[in-house]
Amino acid sequence: MDAIVVEGLRKQFDPPKGPVAVDGVSFQIQEGEIFSLLGPNGAGKTTTISILSCLLKPDSGDARVAGFSVSREPERVKGLIGVVPQDIALYEDLSGRENLLFWGRMYGMSGAALNSRVDEVLELIGLTDRQKDRVDKYSGGMKRRVNIGAALLHKPRFLYLDEPTVGIDPQSRRSILDGVKDFNAGGVTVLYTTHYMEEAQELSHRIGIMDRGIMIAVGTHAELVKMVGEQTRVDLVVDREAGALAERWRSFPGVASVSEPEDGRVWLLAEDANTLTPLLFDSVRALGARITKIDLAEPNLETVFLHLTGRALRD
Amino acid sequence: MRALTIAWKDTRHVYRNVAGLAMMLLAPLVLSTALGAAFGGGGNFSIPAVKTVVVNQDAGAGAGTPAAGAALASALASPGLKALLAVTQVDTPEAARTAVDNGDAGAAVIIPAGLSTALMAAGAPTQGGAPGQGSAPGQAGVPTQGGASGQTGAPGQGAPAAEVQIYKDPTLTIGPAIVAAVVQSGVQTLNGAWAAALTSAQLAASAGLTDPTRLTDLATKAAATFSQAAQAGAPVVLDARAPTTGARNHRDPNVASQVLVGMMIFFMLFGASTQARSIIDEHRQGTLSRLFTTPAPRSVILGGKYVAVFLVVLIQSVILLLAGRLFFGAHWGAMGPVIVLTLCGALVAASLALLMISFAKTPAQAGAVSSAVFVFLALIGGNFVGTVNVGGTFALIRRFTPNGWLLEGWDHLLFGGSWDGIALPVAATLAFSVVFFALATVFFRRRYA
Repeated sequence: MDAIVVEGLRKQFDPPKGPVAVDGVSFQIQEGEIFSLLGPNGAGKTTTISILSCLLKPDSGDARVAGFSVSREPERVKGLIGVVPQDIALYEDLSGRENLLFWGRMYGMSGAALNSRVDEVLELIGLTDRQKDRVDKYSGGMKRRVNIGAALLHKPRFLYLDEPTVGIDPQSRRSILDGVKDFNAGGVTVLYTTHYMEEAQELSHRIGIMDRGIMIAVGTHAELVKMVGEQTRVDLVVDREAGALAERWRSFPGVASVSEPEDGRVWLLAEDANTLTPLLFDSVRALGARITKIDLAEPNLETVFLHLTGRALRD
Repeated sequence: MRALTIAWKDTRHVYRNVAGLAMMLLAPLVLSTALGAAFGGGGNFSIPAVKTVVVNQDAGAGAGTPAAGAALASALASPGLKALLAVTQVDTPEAARTAVDNGDAGAAVIIPAGLSTALMAAGAPTQGGAPGQGSAPGQAGVPTQGGASGQTGAPGQGAPAAEVQIYKDPTLTIGPAIVAAVVQSGVQTLNGAWAAALTSAQLAASAGLTDPTRLTDLATKAAATFSQAAQAGAPVVLDARAPTTGARNHRDPNVASQVLVGMMIFFMLFGASTQARSIIDEHRQGTLSRLFTTPAPRSVILGGKYVAVFLVVLIQSVILLLAGRLFFGAHWGAMGPVIVLTLCGALVAASLALLMISFAKTPAQAGAVSSAVFVFLALIGGNFVGTVNVGGTFALIRRFTPNGWLLEGWDHLLFGGSWDGIALPVAATLAFSVVFFALATVFFRRRYA
């Protein structure tokens, strides 16, 4: 059953000359799944999640959350969702508990029920002991956890997390990823945006890959990887002439795509890495350059993105 | 309920901000205290008595005639002038000038030896001299000399003039001016007495009286009668009054409370602006966007922010009014009008601050624009000149500002007015508030639609 249905979303900022942030995006999220939007910065992930959060109105298209239109019934939608914004959105001069109480009231909670739920959430995010400390005394990871906790107070049916692991330590990141899995196990449908391939791969039941405002692929991890067939990703670093070499490699037989060079680093997709590798060494030698590093990898989401866009995810 | 939650959160935020509190509460109190002290913290404007040394060299014009110098010296030391002049007699002009040069006195009054003789000398009467100018021939004058030069005044040229000199400390302005005015008044009395004596003698002579002794006696009596009449009080007095609007139960407020009203309204604008800026701050911090993802309608969220701005300035004004009562002994007036005017002040300050913030995109921009507008309004509204002595074009211009109307209302209350005096200011500030709130709402809705 589709819990969230997105159809032809389009959003342009500062029309008519401003950038088109989202251009005809469509996808569906099923009840109880974790769906990740994967893409580099500027792909349109945050704009999409903002429209689904009723923060922005689409220029055209619509999205329905549990059957309610984000354009026409935003108040109904807002009661069903919990939104974890990309940046920490808390009141730093309030304590962790005061913040949760405040956000709980904003979701219409009050009294003993609110207090009890705040206790539960503090336990869930592991901050019971520090609940009375002001948020500006918390570490980055602790703030992230409160940031997530504030979206869980009203037990939302849908949880949106917009790049919740940006800029935090590995331990906090692990904690958040495990938490997302737990929320999902508890029945919450999760929409997760990230530009970290590993996170999308680990968490998601299905993944939507976005680039420059367009949804370029949607599917399970296996389905997406299958799109690039048996290709192998070859990751090279050369000491000079990277641009000329990349141009030359594009014409080699069996090379599906070649990335734009960056600091001497070039990625390419090869149908038969065993045959191609000697040719790569020869071409490098012919230009008087040297390969300082070479890596062969099985296809993954990075490979898929490279295959579909000709650019690396982090470009 | 949600709006009040937001308002309460915002209000707490402001009162946890020490710098903001200092600006909102401490600054107006400190300024009012300083200005109140400078202009007299008590009931009225007051300055200390001017230390004045007097040297009287006039021995009189002869037996049986009054000594003009003694009369002038006596007038300066009269009990009625004790609050203005602290008079000390010295023997010589040099001693008097030395006292001024050493800073022991603010002014010296040097009465020349020939003052009585000059007054009694025969000759046509002339017009009275003006302070600070050379004397006309045949009469007493009051030249003023700066102590820095160390010189005495030169007598009027080409005539037996008698000059009462004032030797003053050049660094002082008000004190010597008071001394000059008092001496001038005394000299005018002497000249008047002289004119009365001369006129009576001429009238008697024209009536056939030729005995010099009787003529002198008659002139002396005429002069004495004039002097007594002058001291008893003038039959014609000048009474300058400002127009009043309606009857008042008149009261004289102290200077500090008058200053505090202007400062309170001025800093209420800043207090409101500081609080209103939280909308921009929350927008930048992402909490406003997060609020918009909750089921709370945007109108409720912005309404909560509005309420917070109003509450903050209301609390600020109540604290300042109480502090004024406590520290300055201010009598703000009847409770009802005071409450209404305070509410109006909070409303108009909140609405104006919100309007200013609705234009701004960054906190820095908001601070700069708001400050410029508030200072301009305070200048033309009269916040820095107190609530009295405002008239003419200025009184008209200030009515184009909400703070000007508020000050007018407070002026009425401070001077003993009540409902009748504040009705128009209340109506005007409410009108300003409605317009400001409406415009701010339009701009905010456009921004956060």
